[in-house]
Amino acid sequence: MNHSEKDIALVEKYFDAELSDSEMNHFTMRLESDQNFKTLVEHEKAIVGAIRHQGLTENLQYLEALEANLGDSKRVQLQAPIKKWYYVAAAVTIGVLIVGKVLLNSFNETPDKLFEAYFTPYPNMFEPTVRGNSAVNKRAQAFQAYDQGDYQNAAILFTELLSTKKEPGMLLLLGNANLILGNVETAKANFTVLNKDFDELDIQSKWYLSLCYLKSGDIERARTMLKELGKTEITYANKAKELLDKVD
Amino acid sequence: MNQEDIIHKIRTGGQRELALVYEEYREEFLHWVAKEYNCSMDDSKDLYQVTILIFYDNIRQGKLEHLVSSVKTYLFGIGKNIAKENLRKEKRYVPISKEKWLKESLIDEPSDPIDEESFLRAKSALSKLGQPCQRLVEMFYYEKKSIPEITEALQYKNPETAKNQKCKCMARLRKLFEQEVVQNSTVINHESF
Repeated sequence: MNHSEKDIALVEKYFDAELSDSEMNHFTMRLESDQNFKTLVEHEKAIVGAIRHQGLTENLQYLEALEANLGDSKRVQLQAPIKKWYYVAAAVTIGVLIVGKVLLNSFNETPDKLFEAYFTPYPNMFEPTVRGNSAVNKRAQAFQAYDQGDYQNAAILFTELLSTKKEPGMLLLLGNANLILGNVETAKANFTVLNKDFDELDIQSKWYLSLCYLKSGDIERARTMLKELGKTEITYANKAKELLDKVD
Repeated sequence: MNQEDIIHKIRTGGQRELALVYEEYREEFLHWVAKEYNCSMDDSKDLYQVTILIFYDNIRQGKLEHLVSSVKTYLFGIGKNIAKENLRKEKRYVPISKEKWLKESLIDEPSDPIDEESFLRAKSALSKLGQPCQRLVEMFYYEKKSIPEITEALQYKNPETAKNQKCKCMARLRKLFEQEVVQNSTVINHESF
């Protein structure tokens, strides 16, 4: 069906909420009296609806991926909610005691081996790559490179992007990429900035910083960081328990 | 983060902000839904994801600018409405169809829903649009980003270029849509003979 350019422009302006009062009157009149015009509006409505639907679907997939990536301990808690406060208190106490034991014991395995056993790259929960979509700019390319395991390129692109504006999520991923690439000192610097300059991702930055110290053999600093984590976050206290088992 | 901060972050941010809100109220919401409606944790998660997307959309569409209550109360209110509506339709709690809920509650207007056939053709046309057009129209119509914001995000020369590009992308999408309509009517004609 052929529609005039003028009608298409009018309909587009309607959906973009850019019509003036007189244009709106004209639009309403045409909609009531002109079937061809009404069809054009119905088609545009379907197109805008499809665009919105795609956006919603992508965000839904993002939330599903986020849910799947949430920590195991968090998931266990959700599957079997602990309602009694003393169970929670006991769990926290055990967690802190375990961390304490880690700190008191010397490491039996080499720090490097412990690093290998406990390091897993933080997933890109910030701007996941949508399957089938090609990256349209440097930012998208950076996240895509990270998702694809191309940490060298991800590190280069994240560094460029962060030189203009610092973002906590990007810093966390850059630190991870540098750690994987063996650039431990640079990774430390990334996590330190994240820890100092932002309130968000505080726990994550400390966890990865402790792994940086392990990787570089700086046991004392690793202990200090693990101690802090044990006091604040039960999830990481549980990780420390695993670490203790290996150490013993 | 205070209430206004959350709204501001969602209005101006992206998926990272969505994740922050999702994690903030997740545990409390999931336990509440599972207990209140005696449903599984997986069903509660489905309901929570739809709730968060409705909250996000209400802010993006400008329907929610200031909260008179807390974010938590608002989210629980949305969740309660979805659960009640689901119960009303099904008479007992059954898992919700997330995509169906999102379309019915966020895309269709109750008094004037989108024709299903046109919607499917539009979806098919959109899948053939390619980048960066797909991303651009999504930023404009779903994320409700302004033309200057799109200019910066997609690195266009200036807002006029971004605006022109948006119009071109929509023209291309309409053409693809028309092709879908013609293709479909040809198939129907062939089948009727």
